[in-house]
Formats: sequence, C-alpha cells, structure tokens
Amino acid sequence: MGRTSVRRRGGPTVERFSIAQRIEHFVLLLSFNILALTGLPQKYSTTGWAQRLIDVFGGIETTRLIHRTFAVLLMAQGLYHLAAVLASQRRQVRRHDMHLSRQDLRDVIGDMKFMTGRSRERPRFGRFDYRQKFEYWAVVWGTALMAATGLVMWFPTFISQWLPGVVIPAARVAHGGEALLALFAVIIWHFYNAHFRPDIFPMDPAMFTGKVPLERLRHEHPREMDNLEAAGLLPPRESEQADK
Amino acid sequence: MYWLILLAAAWILGFPQASLAQDNAACLGCHEVEGTKISFPDGGLDVTINAKKFATSVHKDFTCTTCHTNHTGYPHPPRTATSRRAYQVLAQQICATCHADQAQIFDLSVHGRGVRMGLGDVPVCASCHTAHAVIRPKSAAFRNNIPEVCGNCHANETIMTRYGLRPVYQAYVEEFHGVTTRLYRLVTPEIRSPAAVCYDCHTAHTVRRVADPLSPVAPGNLLATCRTCHTQAGRFFATAWTEHRIPSLRHSTLVYLVQWFYLILIPGVVGVLAILTVMDLWHWAVTRWGGRA
Repeated sequence: MGRTSVRRRGGPTVERFSIAQRIEHFVLLLSFNILALTGLPQKYSTTGWAQRLIDVFGGIETTRLIHRTFAVLLMAQGLYHLAAVLASQRRQVRRHDMHLSRQDLRDVIGDMKFMTGRSRERPRFGRFDYRQKFEYWAVVWGTALMAATGLVMWFPTFISQWLPGVVIPAARVAHGGEALLALFAVIIWHFYNAHFRPDIFPMDPAMFTGKVPLERLRHEHPREMDNLEAAGLLPPRESEQADK
Repeated sequence: MYWLILLAAAWILGFPQASLAQDNAACLGCHEVEGTKISFPDGGLDVTINAKKFATSVHKDFTCTTCHTNHTGYPHPPRTATSRRAYQVLAQQICATCHADQAQIFDLSVHGRGVRMGLGDVPVCASCHTAHAVIRPKSAAFRNNIPEVCGNCHANETIMTRYGLRPVYQAYVEEFHGVTTRLYRLVTPEIRSPAAVCYDCHTAHTVRRVADPLSPVAPGNLLATCRTCHTQAGRFFATAWTEHRIPSLRHSTLVYLVQWFYLILIPGVVGVLAILTVMDLWHWAVTRWGGRA
C-alpha cells in the first residue's frame, strides 16, 4: 500500500488497489455476470428470451451446472475476502477503509446539499466515499444472502432435517428478489459511478490499473490525501520530480 | 440357413400388412377429409384422421378395424351412443380390449368412478392419451407434456369449482418441479424431465382424492412420496410443499412475506439510488451549461 509510480500521462499516482484486490474484483465481475446470465432465465422461465438463452447454454441442466460452478467460485472468493480482511486486522497500520460511521451519513447529506447547489463544497471524502461503501456493503450482504438461499435450494433434503420446509420456497423467492435488486443496483449505481459519470466515462480505470492519479485523489478523496501525507506515503511532488 | 427361413417368414408375415394398409386407405378416403364430423345432441365429434400423426402413434401398425371392429364396410352400422359423451365413454371399451389391466385399475380411481357416475368432465382414456395419436407414456414427449394434459381440466376454474377443487396448474408451473419440466418440454423436448410431473405423486390410473388416506399425497403419506425421489429428504421436507397454492398470508406465509419484502425493498433502494444519480447528473449539467451551481 502506498507504493508510488508515475504514469506517462496525468502526473504521479498512488496505488489504490493491490493486485490481489484487482483479481478479486475480476472474479466478482466474471461470476456476477455469468450467474446473472444463467440465473435470470431460470427466474423468468416462462418468457421466450429465457427459453432461447437456456437453449444457448444447452438446456436447463447445463445452465444449472454453470450457475452452480460460478456460485462456488463466488462463494470461495467471498471466503477468501473474509480471510483477507481478518488478516489485515492484524496489520499495525489500519485505516478502517470500509467501516461505516456517522461521518458517512453526514457525507450523504453534505453531498446532497452540494449536488443541489445548497453548498459550495463537496464533503471531504476518505479513501472510499459513501457511494463506494454502499456498493461494497451491498455486495457483502448480497453475496451472503445469495449463497445462503442458493445453498438451501441446492441441498433442500439436508436443510429440511433441521429447518421447516417452508424456508425452501421462501429461499427461492428471496434468491430471485435479491438477484433483481443486485442487478438494478449494478446497472444504476455501479454503471453510473464507475462508467457513465461524465468525468470518468467510459470507465474508471483504477480497478484495473490499480492506480489513481494524485490529482484525482485530491479532488475526490481529500481525507485520504491527508492520511497518506500524514503517514508519509505520498510520492514526491511533481516539482521535485522535475528537478531530478 | 435359418436366416433364409426367417427372411421368408418375415416376407410372408409382412405381406398381409401391405393389404391391411390398403384397408386403412379405404377408410382414409373419407376420414382424411378435414372436418369430417358426426353429430350428437351435445355437440359434434370430429372424426378426421390425420394419417401422418397416426403413423407416429404406437398403434401405427394396426388397421382401422382392429379397434373399430364393426366398421368393416360402408355404410357403418348404426351408433348405439346417443350423445357425444356416451360415445367417448363407450370408446373406453375398445381400449380395454387389450389394456384390460389398466382399465380395471382406472375404474377404481377417482376419475374412473366419475365416469361411472356419469360426470361429464371426467377424463376417459382418449382425453389424456388421444384416440389416434397415442404415444408411449414413457416417452419424453408424453412425460414432459403431462402438466398440460392434466392442466386441460385442472387449470380450469369453472370445471374445478363443480367438484369443490382448486385449479392447481398455474401454481405447479411456478414451482420447482413445474419450472424444470416446462423448460425440458420447451428447450430439450427429447429428454424426459427428471422433475416430478403430476402422475409421479398422484399416480396416473389409480389417482385418488387427496383426502383419501390411501392417496400417496395424503398428509400422512406425503413425506414417503417425496422420498421416492428425494431419498435423503429430512423430516421437515414435506412442509416445503406449497400445496399448489399461490402463497398468501394464510398459506406459505413466509414465502408471501419474503415476496412483499422484496416488492418494497427493490423499488425503495432503486428509487434512492436513482435520485442520487439524477442529482449528481444535475450537478454536472449545471456546472457544464448552467450559470449557477
């Protein structure tokens, strides 16, 4: 963390996502899309497009096999993430990046005031702003719920040894509802904040390059800038570099 | 040497079949004409024969007179049936000539009793198997289409109300088994659906009232019936059963509540996210084109 480098354009950058985190994101992206593609036609099995899509996959059994394979991948990734977070708790320098606090609520209100022109200043966001935190926790909640309800449907005979059978059809409804919620959230929130926002269109490359230009960080995550500066992790200033 | 004899035997046995085919052709001369009907006081009965369809049926090698034994010439002998329904009920005897064992157990089923009681809606052999396009009940085409066959009546509110029943078809096609079977029928029709269709639980020719303690789906027998496929089913498994009901506050309450939870949560969350997104876009637009920000 905090390793610095200079990209050809755009001045100095700092590392925002480690290579492991970027791989995690890629696994999430891959499994989410394939799960949606193989799951939605099962939810909407009465429609023509769903039947054509299932036909493309080679029938319902293959569709389910693909769905369950990538479900296992996503669950494994979730468990890895949990382990990685727990391991990071042992580090000496912790910045509690995704922790929710009252500050986030103040940031939402402050940002709404700013966007509607009631305030001149955007709130000074930390390493991750409330939009990104919302998305992160939505993924955590969503993955946990999808895994739990998916496993209930995958192993109904096992579950029914301990839990009333009604949880099985209920899990199916929750799995479908949560899937729709996740899809809408991704389409509106993630696509806007990581792709269609006018200043970053067509996409925010940070999750793939792992780096963010200092200039952007100063504007979008000023409190993170302060933290890096305090920790002495900022790259040398542009002027100093020019001197060298 | 034997194979020569076998060949000769096959040729000799095959020969009369050719003449039987000619026999069928004589019947088809009239019966292939679209819209050939016989009329009864309670409606007409279409007696058009689709020769192509008949050629795909399990009975394709039979002559017409194998079943219609007294129809050896024209004009046909006078009909004994005085109504369309009576004609169809009488036709069951034709099937029973060969399928006596099935006819016998069907007679004891709730449907068989209904036929004997003279109830007009109750199925006879041909209602489910068709008269002239009979296919193997074990075939994928027949099995995957079972919900539609039973749904002919069990999706019909008017018919069901007459017997104090609920239409169950719609709830079934939305259930686990129904979704899978439907997708097999539409996407991979050549493969038999492994998911339960109506007769797997209710049986076919011995179907009983659900309240009948001998019914495999009577409350006391339900778990055992589930375990014929779900061999490892836990003791609470049968309560997963939503009774072919659309979930409501009274039936499958948890399912109903989860439905409502998402009916509220999805528009709520999507609404908040959409508002924040529009606000951000608004801010960009004002900064870019507007004078005031």
